Amino acid sequence: MEPGFNAKSLALRFLPDLLAVVASFVAAGIFIAVMGFNVLDAYETILFTSFRSVNGFAQTLLKFVPLVLLAFAFTVPLAAGKFNIGGEGQMIVGAIGAAAAGIMLADLPMVILLPLVILAGVLFGAFWGAIPAWLLYQFGINEILTTVLMNFISFGLIDYVATEIWKDPFAGHPTTVPIGAGGELPLLLTSPPLHAGIIIALLVAVAVYIYTDRTSAGYELIATGANPRASRVYGINVRRMFLLSLILGGALAGLAGSIEVAGVHQRLIEGLQSNFLILGIIIGLIARGNNLAVPFVAFFIAVLEVGASAMQRTMMIPGEMVFIVEALILLFVLLSDVVRRR
Amino acid sequence: MNFELQLVDFAKLVMFAIVPYILAAQGTMLGGRTGLFNVAQEGIMLLGASLGFLGAYLTGSMWAGILLALLTGALFGLALAYFTTTLKMNQFVIGLALFFIGLGLSTLFPKIIIGVTLQPPLITTLKGVPIPVLSQIPIIGEIFFNQNWLVYFSILLSIFLYYFMYKTSYGLELRAVGENPKAADSLGVSVSTRRYLTAIVGGMLMALAGAYLPMAYTGTFTEGMVAGRGWIAIALTFFGGWTPHLILLGAFFFAGVEVLALKFQVGGSGVPYQFLLMLPYIATIIVMMFAFRLVRAPAFLGQNYDREKRSL
Amino acid sequence: MKGVRKSFGPVVALDDVSLQLNTREIHGFLGGNGAGKTTLMNVLYGLYKPDAGEIYLHGKKVEIQSPKDAIKLGIGMVHQHFLQIDSYTVTENIVLGTELRNRPTLNLDQQAQRIVELSQRFGLEVNPRARIEDISMGVRQRVEILKALYRGVEILILDEPTTSLTPQEVDVLFQSLRVMVDEGMSVVFITHKLREVLSVSDRISVLRNGQNAVTVAGAEASEETLVKEMVGAGMDLEKSLIFSESGLGRETLAVGPKAIVQVEKIEVLDNAGQPLIKDCSFQINEQEILGMAGVAGNGQQELAEGLLGIRPIAAGRVLIEGIDISELETSELLALGVTYIPQDRLSDGFLPKASVAQNLLLGYHHQEPFSKNGFLNWPAIFTAARKQISEYDIKTAGPSEIAANLSGGNIQRVMLARAFSRPAKLMVAHNPTRGLDIRSMEFVYSKLLEQKEQGLATLLLSEDLDELMLLSNRIAVMYQGHIMGILDRSRFDKYQLGRMMSGVKIDE
Repeated sequence: MEPGFNAKSLALRFLPDLLAVVASFVAAGIFIAVMGFNVLDAYETILFTSFRSVNGFAQTLLKFVPLVLLAFAFTVPLAAGKFNIGGEGQMIVGAIGAAAAGIMLADLPMVILLPLVILAGVLFGAFWGAIPAWLLYQFGINEILTTVLMNFISFGLIDYVATEIWKDPFAGHPTTVPIGAGGELPLLLTSPPLHAGIIIALLVAVAVYIYTDRTSAGYELIATGANPRASRVYGINVRRMFLLSLILGGALAGLAGSIEVAGVHQRLIEGLQSNFLILGIIIGLIARGNNLAVPFVAFFIAVLEVGASAMQRTMMIPGEMVFIVEALILLFVLLSDVVRRR
Repeated sequence: MNFELQLVDFAKLVMFAIVPYILAAQGTMLGGRTGLFNVAQEGIMLLGASLGFLGAYLTGSMWAGILLALLTGALFGLALAYFTTTLKMNQFVIGLALFFIGLGLSTLFPKIIIGVTLQPPLITTLKGVPIPVLSQIPIIGEIFFNQNWLVYFSILLSIFLYYFMYKTSYGLELRAVGENPKAADSLGVSVSTRRYLTAIVGGMLMALAGAYLPMAYTGTFTEGMVAGRGWIAIALTFFGGWTPHLILLGAFFFAGVEVLALKFQVGGSGVPYQFLLMLPYIATIIVMMFAFRLVRAPAFLGQNYDREKRSL
Repeated sequence: MKGVRKSFGPVVALDDVSLQLNTREIHGFLGGNGAGKTTLMNVLYGLYKPDAGEIYLHGKKVEIQSPKDAIKLGIGMVHQHFLQIDSYTVTENIVLGTELRNRPTLNLDQQAQRIVELSQRFGLEVNPRARIEDISMGVRQRVEILKALYRGVEILILDEPTTSLTPQEVDVLFQSLRVMVDEGMSVVFITHKLREVLSVSDRISVLRNGQNAVTVAGAEASEETLVKEMVGAGMDLEKSLIFSESGLGRETLAVGPKAIVQVEKIEVLDNAGQPLIKDCSFQINEQEILGMAGVAGNGQQELAEGLLGIRPIAAGRVLIEGIDISELETSELLALGVTYIPQDRLSDGFLPKASVAQNLLLGYHHQEPFSKNGFLNWPAIFTAARKQISEYDIKTAGPSEIAANLSGGNIQRVMLARAFSRPAKLMVAHNPTRGLDIRSMEFVYSKLLEQKEQGLATLLLSEDLDELMLLSNRIAVMYQGHIMGILDRSRFDKYQLGRMMSGVKIDE
């Protein structure tokens, strides 16, 4: 907000976070050693796989896209004080919408089809976020509950779509037929395949930051989260803010879904949502809702995730280990806030 | 099967299914009545299922599994209480963090300890314990008095909690803490003690709820087997107005929907099974639409209390 | 209590404070808001842990770690904001935390009986079976006092007990205190109101800025000496609005000829949807301060919210400079020149985690020059913020400082600065000096008068009759949503107002 950075104070601010990361790695390292694996090898694989090859880096960027979008899907409603735990369902439904557009209009040229596919994902995701938003607005139901329940409902939906409506008969796992070629995101690199979704993600990151920090509408969002009662007293339509924030969150998650469909898989695959939701929330919480920090934290988590699958492949250490590390980082970062307060 | 037999079968299954809902919801209720809103149920239940199963599998004793699950639940409850009551951190954020950790550990432990096997490892499931005389009553006896001991425990627990909350001074003090912690504190009723106690007991109940699933249903642990029951338990707690007796009643509804969906899937109703799978969650949402406005939650639910906080 | 020291972070609330309480005495504990009186008593009652200091009871040193200990030692405290559970009955609230045998049913008949006996003995009538949410403020205070009496306390601490009472009810309270003292108790009576403390105390201690100022016998004290002790050397009493004998000058009091605000037969609903304010009419001229007196809970909050568009006006209309504003949204009202100082400044007007600049912006974030085409102009916002910080003497490191660190007085300055950041026509000020230290009170008054002279019409809703009588041109009294009457300045009389506050209607 206030212009002007101070390099030293910046470094000081990040020291506790760095310590949190180190502490989590140490904790996990103990676990890994107890299990009988080589701790240093594990650390090396987790942290450096992304940077050892072009393929590793591309994989990291590919993971970065849905992670950063799902993080925003959590932090934007969080700014208004609402917890959107439904990024998973919103992403899935967004993906369904994108695939639907891509399959039903498969013959259209890219200039029309691609924007449609992306847009369909955004709209479907926004819709899936609007339902809990409306339930909150109309009935006052806590959004943590409704967004989570909507996730479970979406699992049924994607299974139905992938096994009944547009089933790909040759696939062993519930998958749809491919979308039209015009719906595929263009590749920036062919080998390894890196799609243009990364550009979209970066643009969205900038847009989100500008919205929350530099517009009146964004101010209303933040004020609502800071003190809904005071915001209402001073003329902000707080209930509309809640609604809007959840719909925006849904749209962002839906965008992630459509990018996965159009860029990574070119079709709808059950399970495409992976663990992005939980990681997105973890990223959002580690960044403490600061939209400027989110992309950096998301990139870091992407690096860890790529390292996790490499570690599982080459060293047979379960990938869950890295997840525990990430959860521990979150816990330690939260604790460091408490320490900082004193 | 004739209609009467089908009904009895249905009722029996519902009785069987209420356990995880009741246990998790009563655990939520206890904490909530002191103002501590635990949202980590799903994670605690998953870990309770995972460790409960592992404990029973490795030692051959059901009780070892249960004990392990209870211990885990107590630990998570303790952590929640410590971070929110003593360190004054946001209850939802800590609850989510604990949910993640429970989720992650629940799949990590089986992978490390058992690894991947061709056949799922099995434990013997809980047997029905018929109550003498009462189980002989036609129909009613079969439905109510021929269940496993956790079913009896869940119901007795609910009755006990009702008495405890509304007919003892302990209950009066407990509820006061959630309604106005400063008032209670000023009269010497310790807020933090009660929050710690209810969090720990609540965590134990939630873990037990999770452990029930491998022990009574399938005999093994599968990822995601809790299937949202933890979240539904939150809805059930609201639906029951944060009171133990209404939670008991409400549990029948949710268990009923679960069994109904199952029956339809198996029975071939023409409805695609994916939609039947969605049924419990949709039903929960619909129930919430009516319950939320009508229900009165404890006034300070979700809010931390700081004795030394100065109001300007 | 000897040598007590207590800090909250960098703020030293109590600095080597001592207090001596004799048996069978009413000890007045006097000081401005923020002087530390409540803090010291909270230490005595075990709610706060002191950094240093000792407490002796009957000559023996005691450790008080929590309210439980205090109660065991026979110390009871009646807080300024009642600590009661709305859904419980009077009996349940009083017996909470006492030893109750767990019989099969929670039967409180015996306890209720004892409560009735106590209430009759001390002149504090209550119905033991009533629910707290159904009874009035005056009765609620009796419940609060009975909580302590029920536990057989020897020492009773009363924190600002007269805030919500009519003058008549204050007299009744003082009588009850005399009965208690005759029965062998000691009472500490915390207040910032000079005249009250003089009328009832045996001895008076004055606290100023967290330090002892003086302790005198009630008979020997005078208003003048007490004021000097409360305020200290730093303030010029002659120039003070509150304490000077001369009162407001004629120019300050002058009222303009035109009626700016006309409220015509408005009806506003309460939270249950029932009409609370019915058929209410009044007008305010430019340069006029219309005071609105009344016991809390008689519709003042609803009136303020109705005028600000936070609550809909169910019937009637409100006109500002002839324009009907009854249907307008709050944001439109703020843009039109209606400003507000809510009584709960923390919950209703403040963003603790945001910066000072963001706080100053609240409500005006759509208006030029702060916002253009939807985008915020942060340089302009910061320039304005810096100007407001200096003009309103807000003690803060700068516009970017997180507002949570501000003291009560400074928060109120932010509220004032925000209210006057755009030209204003009507100011609705609700208990604007509640909880403020004397210096801040003076500041608020001076700003209100300054704006008044420039043409502002003000509706001053307050529970402090002294404040109303000092500042208002006329005082209206609200009782159960109706206006009982409006007194002109020449006819201001405390007991008359007290009667109106209790529901007696006055012919004008």
